[in-house]
Amino acid sequence: MSDLTPGGTSESGRGGVSWYEASARQRVRLLLDAGSFTEFVGPEQRETSPHLQVFDLPEQFDDGMVVGAGTLGGGAVLVAAQEGRFMGGAFGEVHGAKLTGLLRAARDLTSTPVLILFDTGGVRLQEANAGELAIAEIMRAVVEARHAGVTVLGLVGGRSGCFGGGGLIAGCCSALAVSEQGRIGVSGPEVIETNRGVEEFDSKDRPLVWRTTGGKHRRLIGGADAFADDTVDAFRACALDLLRTTGPLTLDTLRNEQARLRERLDRFGACADARDVWAKRGVDDAGAVPGLPADDFIALAGRVAEPSHDAR
Amino acid sequence: MRDWSRDGTARDERVAAGRVLARGKAVHRDDAAKLLEALLKPGDRVCLEGDNQKQADLLAEALTRVDPAVVHDLHMVQSGVVLPEHLDVFESGIAKRLDYSYSGPQAARVARMLFGGKIELGAVHTYLELFARYFIDLTPHVALIAAVSADRDGNLYTGPNTEDTPTVVEATTFKNGVVVAQVNEIVDRVPRVDIPGDRVHFVVEAGRPFYVEPLFTRDPGAVTETQILTAMLAIKGIYAPYAVKRLNHGIGFNTAAIELLLPTYADRLGLKGEICTHWALNPHPTLIPAIESGWVEQIHSFGSEVGMDDYIRARPDVYFTGADGSLRSNRAFCQTAGLYACDMFIGSTLQIDLAGHSSTVTTSRVAGFGGAPNMGSDPRGRRHPSAPWLKAGREADPDAPAPLRRGRKLVVQIGETFGDGNVPLFVEKLDALNLAEKLDLELAPVMVYADDTTHIVTEEGVANLLLCRSPAEREQAIRGVAGYTEIGRGRDRAMVERLRARKVIQRPEDLGVDPLDADRSLLAARSVKDLVHWSGGLYAPPAKFRNW
Repeated sequence: MSDLTPGGTSESGRGGVSWYEASARQRVRLLLDAGSFTEFVGPEQRETSPHLQVFDLPEQFDDGMVVGAGTLGGGAVLVAAQEGRFMGGAFGEVHGAKLTGLLRAARDLTSTPVLILFDTGGVRLQEANAGELAIAEIMRAVVEARHAGVTVLGLVGGRSGCFGGGGLIAGCCSALAVSEQGRIGVSGPEVIETNRGVEEFDSKDRPLVWRTTGGKHRRLIGGADAFADDTVDAFRACALDLLRTTGPLTLDTLRNEQARLRERLDRFGACADARDVWAKRGVDDAGAVPGLPADDFIALAGRVAEPSHDAR
Repeated sequence: MRDWSRDGTARDERVAAGRVLARGKAVHRDDAAKLLEALLKPGDRVCLEGDNQKQADLLAEALTRVDPAVVHDLHMVQSGVVLPEHLDVFESGIAKRLDYSYSGPQAARVARMLFGGKIELGAVHTYLELFARYFIDLTPHVALIAAVSADRDGNLYTGPNTEDTPTVVEATTFKNGVVVAQVNEIVDRVPRVDIPGDRVHFVVEAGRPFYVEPLFTRDPGAVTETQILTAMLAIKGIYAPYAVKRLNHGIGFNTAAIELLLPTYADRLGLKGEICTHWALNPHPTLIPAIESGWVEQIHSFGSEVGMDDYIRARPDVYFTGADGSLRSNRAFCQTAGLYACDMFIGSTLQIDLAGHSSTVTTSRVAGFGGAPNMGSDPRGRRHPSAPWLKAGREADPDAPAPLRRGRKLVVQIGETFGDGNVPLFVEKLDALNLAEKLDLELAPVMVYADDTTHIVTEEGVANLLLCRSPAEREQAIRGVAGYTEIGRGRDRAMVERLRARKVIQRPEDLGVDPLDADRSLLAARSVKDLVHWSGGLYAPPAKFRNW
């Protein structure tokens, strides 16, 4: 049994490092070409939140957002990473402004891709208005950058997933890579249960939560364009691949997306469970999907997942 | 002339009253409450089987439905007060007096009912202590037990969760008591006979599995870096120098972290084969990586653990298994093993005072003890030597002549200086004392007494209380590892430094442990799914621990 080495037992190689376990800074450092990262507005500038002090809450010198430039496979990229362990990666004023600025720079550069390493529960409640505005600004900046010809990739596989406004921003990206642990959604399970009742969604039923919001489901319905095993290397390979294959934002892209969303509703609107959707998609043993190892799942998704044309 | 078999006659009358409802030994579950009404008399001592794991839940529910005009003032003598029904019977007057051992989820309600006078408390015991009293002065008149299956003759298969059943049945049947078993199903032939049928009087088919709590599962994903640091200190500061091979781990994330560091950190220290080879331990999922890496020779278990059955079945060289292949657990034997045949107990606690007494009781909760005070105590009746036991004895009493010197069991309390919700681990006065005053108890519910505690481990270091020569030294040794708590800040710095020079206190740097190395990448498994991978897919975690 000594050949069984569960995901990431050593720090020695980058491949072994778990994306889920890594900090935002570790992810950036290990995702990009070695030594290539330069940070903008780094922690030494102490651009902390102007709001948290009012609530007697601890601040972080980078406000939970790392932005900068580097290279990936030799090509220039801009990169933003949320620190899910600081306030659940939530968007506040400074946190959001750093991402908005990065995306506007990308728009002006017109050809440098942007990687957004999501790890967020949504807007920071303590700075709600600033956070909501930040989400709107970021969504506009993503679309402007894409319209100018920039590819904006989202990578989702952190502890906090990608929820609330983060889920909306992810929906605006050119393409998404997700791991099994990377949950994507807008309202979190507890919020749905609180508003619609436990019959609608039992947030304590963990297998239900994960097969509804988790990465495998997002990949199988075409909401995510690539599936990564939970390692930095796997996300790097996905990012390189998506940068090669993702097309520009055109009117046709949007028309295709609209058609596909309509078709998705027609085909799966009556399904009560993610497993029913998978079965309709042509998965023989839908019940076995959550237990599939990453390689087997990637092969399965290659056979049955919807072709990517932008609908989330 | 005196009739010497009045109890036997009374037993025969009870059984005859119950037979009216039975076909052979089988009673339909709809008649379970009627059966209990027929068997029970006011004031009877009743053992309703249930501990921190398995529960005779159908019979517990049936007991709440008996007529309190017929059955009342029962004296419950049971390991666990765990299900709401266990206390409902006190609300309705069906039961009056309670002798027990453990009450995890019901701890707050037990405290309220004790205070409100709804429960007349005998005592809170350790498991082994309560079992002992079953044979002396708390022998049940009626035992209500749980098993997996029964045949027509009443032979029982208790499966991996045998736990307390053989002890309860032994005490009840052989002293003229009546045994009623709820079983998941009645079969033609049981997979193995755990309880011979002639000890069982009635069988009720539940049609569903009895409830089992996955109490010993800890998600590696929730292990913190501070817990990893304390685990590193424990391994390097205690496991290694004493070469502890035979041991028990209490429940908690601190000990789970130790289990997950064996194949990584401890392996790099060259400790494989030198420590942690023989265990009295439930089948902790977090021990799977160590077992798969060849660390563990054998494990005897108090009970089973939800989801571990197939893994255990595939590792019979490690676990105790029956002819049918499944685990055979036995709480009484395993508690005895933990008391006499283990050289170390290590566990977490909620409060430690300046003498070294520790308790998991807070003023509003009476959680009971379970097995920890038994495992975490020095057995005065022990006579066999072992290297860790002799070394600890030598440290405690260096001047005594060796052939007349008792060894000492290592009893280690481990935790962070500030626990859940930033509550300090170290206190001037235990809440257990406040509770004892409030409820007018003769004994405060102390989990591990100071004179049994040999070491305290926090992220600040390891305190070796065996090396303390006076109460003042002991107090400063404890303050010395209490960090920034009020207790820690009240330390005598000069004395603490002197204790450090004598290695009574060892800081991380004294042990060659760099706190910056305490990283989650050291864990052999960092998620429940990693544990499933390590087990080759044999471990089947319950839904509440899955994130896929």
